[in-house]
Amino acid sequence: MKKVAIAAALTLGAFNVANVSAETVKVGMLLPYSGVYAALGNEIEAGFNLGLQEFGPDLDIEIVKEDSEADPGKSLAKARKLVLQDKVDVMTGIVSSAVAGALRDFVHGAKVPLMVTNAGNDSITGSSCSPYISRFSFSNSQVNGPMGQWVYDQGITKVYTMAPDYTAGHEMIEAFTKTFEAAGGQVVGSEYTPFRKTKDFGPYLAKAKSSGAEAIYTFYAGGEAISFVKQYDSFGLKSSLPLMGSGFLTSPLYVNAEGPAAIGVKTVLHYVPTIDSDMNNSFVQKFQQLNEGRSPSEYSVAGYDAAHALALAIKGGADDRESIAAAISKVSFTGPRGEVHIDPASNNIVQPLYVYETVAEGDGLTQKVLAQLPTTKAPADGCSL
Amino acid sequence: MFYQTPLRTAVLLLFTLACIYAAFTAEYFGVEILTEIIILAMIVLALDLVAGFGGMVSLCHGALAGVGAYIFAIFTAKLGLHPLLAMGIAALITGAVSWVIGTICSKTHGIYFIMATLAFGQMAYSFVFESSYLGGDNGMAGIPRLDLSMIGIDLFDSKQFALLCLACLLVAYLFAWRILTSGLGRSLVGIMHNEKRSRALGQNVVQIKAQVFALSGLILGLAGSLSAQHIMFISPNLLSWTHSGEALVIVILGGLGTLIGPIIGAAAFVLLKHEVSNYTDHWHLIVGIILIIVVMAGARGIYGEIEHRIAKRCAKRVQKEQAPKQAKEKTKEHSLSHAGLKKEH
Amino acid sequence: MDISFWILQLLNALQLSMLLFLLSVGLTVIFGLMHFVNLAHGALYALGAYIAASVAASMGYWAGVLVAPFAVAVLGLILYQFLIKRMRSSGPMAQVLVTFGLIFALLDITRLIWGDLALALDVPELLAGRVSIGGIEYPVYRFFVMAVGLVALVVLHLMLTKTQLGAMIRAGVDNDKMAACLGINVERLFFLVFCVGCALAGLAGAVAAPLLSVVPEMGVDILIPTLIVIVIGGLGSLKGAIVGSLIYGFVQTFGAVFAPQLASVMIYVLLALVLVMRPSGLFPAKGG
Repeated sequence: MKKVAIAAALTLGAFNVANVSAETVKVGMLLPYSGVYAALGNEIEAGFNLGLQEFGPDLDIEIVKEDSEADPGKSLAKARKLVLQDKVDVMTGIVSSAVAGALRDFVHGAKVPLMVTNAGNDSITGSSCSPYISRFSFSNSQVNGPMGQWVYDQGITKVYTMAPDYTAGHEMIEAFTKTFEAAGGQVVGSEYTPFRKTKDFGPYLAKAKSSGAEAIYTFYAGGEAISFVKQYDSFGLKSSLPLMGSGFLTSPLYVNAEGPAAIGVKTVLHYVPTIDSDMNNSFVQKFQQLNEGRSPSEYSVAGYDAAHALALAIKGGADDRESIAAAISKVSFTGPRGEVHIDPASNNIVQPLYVYETVAEGDGLTQKVLAQLPTTKAPADGCSL
Repeated sequence: MFYQTPLRTAVLLLFTLACIYAAFTAEYFGVEILTEIIILAMIVLALDLVAGFGGMVSLCHGALAGVGAYIFAIFTAKLGLHPLLAMGIAALITGAVSWVIGTICSKTHGIYFIMATLAFGQMAYSFVFESSYLGGDNGMAGIPRLDLSMIGIDLFDSKQFALLCLACLLVAYLFAWRILTSGLGRSLVGIMHNEKRSRALGQNVVQIKAQVFALSGLILGLAGSLSAQHIMFISPNLLSWTHSGEALVIVILGGLGTLIGPIIGAAAFVLLKHEVSNYTDHWHLIVGIILIIVVMAGARGIYGEIEHRIAKRCAKRVQKEQAPKQAKEKTKEHSLSHAGLKKEH
Repeated sequence: MDISFWILQLLNALQLSMLLFLLSVGLTVIFGLMHFVNLAHGALYALGAYIAASVAASMGYWAGVLVAPFAVAVLGLILYQFLIKRMRSSGPMAQVLVTFGLIFALLDITRLIWGDLALALDVPELLAGRVSIGGIEYPVYRFFVMAVGLVALVVLHLMLTKTQLGAMIRAGVDNDKMAACLGINVERLFFLVFCVGCALAGLAGAVAAPLLSVVPEMGVDILIPTLIVIVIGGLGSLKGAIVGSLIYGFVQTFGAVFAPQLASVMIYVLLALVLVMRPSGLFPAKGG
């Protein structure tokens, strides 16, 4: 499939003039298709393709795919290839925060719009924001910040935090800690576990148990989330030490592998497939049709909404890098997660958040929305667009 | 012992010409891949120097190149030193680090040596990954390239940068050649074949090994600073053990103990990976199977196999002409180095 | 931090050690006899977990845990016949390289068959819940992991020291050529040991699956810890594998308790230290 795109790119090189007049918009899609994040890459792409089908079936869009391998160096090389050789008009994708950071200076300098569909590092729409970089997923502090007050409102005053020892882990936990302490709560202990090297969370869970905390607040994703939730449950901590955190912990993409252990875990996320709205119900239905009955996740919705935004921009007349970038910062629409728009001050998405509990339903698990937190805008954090 | 045979010279020349041709004709991304190949070739050349001629199968060479990249980045992006000076410092510090690792590890042999070097590589990885000064898992941006505009070279042009890397690779090759034909290099090969004998002869085995490891580190420091300049961004992934493992695979794929072989291996590996990943996301599978086939076909590697066949043919012809001396010595040499390869674990 | 906290951590350390022992023992036994490091061991462990999870999905946990070692042993049999046997004469580096290629290939084969998403494998009813000993609640499944490791240790130990087969294997480890001269079919011994090693990897995968996550990268992630265990302990010996596992398990667990910020580096420092003091690990097999 990638070969087709490349062949198309070569023909494009040969018939450059003809294509420019046809105003094809070339989209460079940079996602991990191999390695640890391959599942997320495929999920986002599925969402993006569905979004294009839905909102711009007749638009003249050509997609060039590249595998980022979730490696910042390799991704930067691929991004340069997409921009300098394939001459894409807009780029989308990016799962890992480190990759987003690596690409920042290049896309900013080359003035190529980049629509981030996962990477949540605060800086990319904060201290090192760019008019060319917009984000359709979330930012780490946006998701976790409001949870401080919510957790405190549940009558929990002492919390033990745990996260993997890398940037995303620190940002998520710090954002929560700040608002939780501001609300009057106390973080009685905090642990950062070696990233992707921790097999046994037992030692940390035992520490949390003896810390006197009333709840655990955590961020883990992927394989680590599965191990963590299962081991948490096996120690029987559910009754004495409820588990809360950012919702990647019990993402619909991974929750089935966690099984009954995930029941009762309360987390927050910008999207869950059980949001009850017409827009979301039709999205879920179509996604399930195309993906063997699997429900969409917070990852696929980011791809879907990015495609939606791009289609809106193109329909509004944008057809080159500059005009697409400008159009995307003004985009505003109702999607599966509710009303969303791009914050012109930072180019980050402004969206509602959903606190949800993982509950049993039939043989499987589902997400029961407990509260919809007001639409949140991430703090500008040094960004001035 | 290392001989720069006419065949090796010819292959090296051919490789150089092919690189120059590619630099001038390839598209943008083609030149990027070329640069990737050349820098990787320097790393595997450095690895072959210690593994192929000293039996030191290191699983931290990728990480050491990463150390070089980080040192270059610190001295330029953080401390604002001139890139040329920073390249020298990166090479020297990486060499010094390698000397320390070499000294500590050279008491161990075989798989234990592999694991000891892995331990140091992983320590460096963990340190960089968790150091907030070095940007942690986010890596470091804003790394400058060498400015050679006063002599009319623009290194921001990817073609000219590729050619600079090629020049560095050739220098590294000559450097490795010089080491191997020096007394130090000869002692090293002697140690690989029979360490006890060398020790009995009064040689300081640990020091000889450590010194060559350090010299190999110089090349790695240079390669690392080039790779930092190439991408203009570095992240801890550079130090990941899988890179060191890949380097080892490439050395054996190309031909251990031939110096030129690993260079060919680097080109073959990178091109194969890029070609296959154009067709499928499951390139690991194809590359893995090809790797298995190549090894099954004969453990000499791509270049090793070519050299072996030519040497065999020459030996036959020369034998017929009743003047067997020189050629026989060469084939003997070759089989010896493979005996060393087999013996070692 | 009362006494029950420390007993809990002690149990955690033992549990991790036993899991690592299950993994490393297969690898070390293969090395002891055949003198090569099967880098694909981690990939076989991952396959074990995947097979266990798929079988368990329709036939229950126990079927999965029984089928996985056999299935992986059969795969080991195929690998031995088509790859390893032919590589016997080409030296350890070539064998290491073939197994490196296998890591690549098996990783993608797992992805092709089972996809990129994680598989579910829950703790069976019988082993769910916790037991309470002296006021400490500890998951039954973790005791089960310890028990499996202990049983494997005892069985292997008895087999190696008390049976004729064990005597032949020990002879092969000490000097395979001499063993062959004495009429032992060393080739068949290699074959048997390789399959048993693979079965142990499969068993480790099946046992670890309910505790950890069944994801494609699990095989690559476990490889380094396993190698560290067998190198610290000394290659080729049962004693080395168990001592290495205990050291790894205790350093990781108590490292996490006392100095979590150093937890990731500590084990590598220890590995380097051991190798400086004892260049062949703590208890290497004589033949190694």
